[in-house]
Amino acid sequence: MRLYEKNASELSEMLRAKQCSASELCNDVLDRINEVENEIGAFVTVDAEGAKENAARVDKAIADGEKLHPLAGIPIGIKDNISTKGMRTTCSSRMLENYVPPFDAFVADKVKSAGMTILGKMNMDEFAMGSSTETSYMHLTRNPHNTECVPGGSSGGSAAAVAAGEAVVTLGSDTGGSIRQPAALCGVVGMKPTYGSVSRYGLVAFASSLDQIGPMGRSVKDVAMVQSLICGHDPMDATSKNMEYPDYAAGLNENVQGLRIGIPKEYFGNGIDDSVKSAVMEAVKQYESNGAVIKEISLPSTEYAINTYYIIASAEASSNLARFDGVKYGYRAKDYTNLIDMYEKTRSEGFGDEVKRRIMLGTFVLSSGYFDAYYKKAKIVQKNISQEFSNAFEQCDIIATPTVPASAFKIGENIGDPIKMYYNDVCTVTVNIAGLPAISLPCGKDGKGMPMGLQLIGDKFTEQKLLNAAYAYEKMCGGFDTLAKITGEAK
Amino acid sequence: MKIDIKHIAKLARLRIEDDKLEKFEKDMESIVNMVDKLPDVTDTLELDASEPMALREDKAVTGKFTRDEMLANAPEVQAGCLVVPKTVE
Repeated sequence: MRLYEKNASELSEMLRAKQCSASELCNDVLDRINEVENEIGAFVTVDAEGAKENAARVDKAIADGEKLHPLAGIPIGIKDNISTKGMRTTCSSRMLENYVPPFDAFVADKVKSAGMTILGKMNMDEFAMGSSTETSYMHLTRNPHNTECVPGGSSGGSAAAVAAGEAVVTLGSDTGGSIRQPAALCGVVGMKPTYGSVSRYGLVAFASSLDQIGPMGRSVKDVAMVQSLICGHDPMDATSKNMEYPDYAAGLNENVQGLRIGIPKEYFGNGIDDSVKSAVMEAVKQYESNGAVIKEISLPSTEYAINTYYIIASAEASSNLARFDGVKYGYRAKDYTNLIDMYEKTRSEGFGDEVKRRIMLGTFVLSSGYFDAYYKKAKIVQKNISQEFSNAFEQCDIIATPTVPASAFKIGENIGDPIKMYYNDVCTVTVNIAGLPAISLPCGKDGKGMPMGLQLIGDKFTEQKLLNAAYAYEKMCGGFDTLAKITGEAK
Repeated sequence: MKIDIKHIAKLARLRIEDDKLEKFEKDMESIVNMVDKLPDVTDTLELDASEPMALREDKAVTGKFTRDEMLANAPEVQAGCLVVPKTVE
């Protein structure tokens, strides 16, 4: 077994027991990237030199007997909308193709301080707008389980790299499902933490009230380790929650005796594949036979979730993306006659079609005469959705649903139909609307041999409970088989 | 609902090429029709007081970056300043 195939928790112990060095580990993952990256396309930037330098530093620290963070020397990939000082951060957009941040995001600083080996930056849908990574200006990313299929999105590079062994763990960001949906489609573990638990400082903003950075990995413990590293209060993010955050990995517990699991019927209706429904219900049965209590619940406002989400997210995006004007940083058009002409040409050439659609939808719902009917109404529905979740969490500890209605679709299949693409997020957007934590776990493969996802949702700031429930399912399954055997004809 | 794409694009400081106008119009109309389905609500919109945002102290942060660092990503710089088209006649 090669080093790249192992999980972070195992590698952490091997490094300490001197069964391998950080440099050996780093080189093996870089070799893996060389072997499969042509086929997968998970990275926008690979920083082999920087990775090797960090690994050498960690090896020296180990040799000197220094006390190190458990994740020191573990190779990580970072989504390309998270600012990394001195390393290009493109958001997979022409607008930021050559942008090199002068500062580190809060989470990038945490990753560096822990001595993790940063492999590079992961491909994504442009400005995180998409569910297939096809809107990336850079290149396509392919699903390691079938390279003719999409990896999901927007954190498609982060998910594909973990499934392909091109990174041990990665960071993604999730505004409406962008960590959980690709995690499900690539058969890995991905968590969207509670809004406010991970600082957004240095995350290029899409929809500020919904965005949250989170970890992806091949086991629940790996995800718990990374979450413990990146969470915490940060004065630079006004929405960051100031509280004590536990060490989630140390607290993992697989006991589900008496755990109340809610099953919301609205998540099992039309549009959800039968194979997905039965896989999720099979997982629920496993919980039950291990002592969990299953309760049917109702979240009636779910039917408005997609609409509410696209109104709020696009409204915020139209405002957040107003900063890209060709003045201080980023792309600037070559020929223009005056300031307005420069703005319009810069933005029209710098943004792709999906980003333009969302900016225009946001502009429309905020525009005079439509604000009350769309934006204001959506904000009220948001409150109702949150309230329904709060009520549900009085009856249950965890809510179980599918992550995605079906397994990965073919590249090009949905790209011409925005509405069809948007409905990929039907099971995930409610979590962002309500600011809750949720995790996607691999739950078997469908008839096409493609992974499906089980989503567990928790109440605000109950990540430990959520991770424990996830850990229990992983144990019931005898571990997750998360590393893909790379197949497919497409090149 | 009919959407005036050119007007919305102008508000958003975007320009949609003529050959893409029809597709944009069709897509935007179907997206607006989709998000249009919202329940009738009578509640008023109030801020969530349970999670107040914490503002930082209103103090200038100095010495963190050099001028050169801050201008390194600018499309056009002259004499340590950003260059933009003439805005005042």
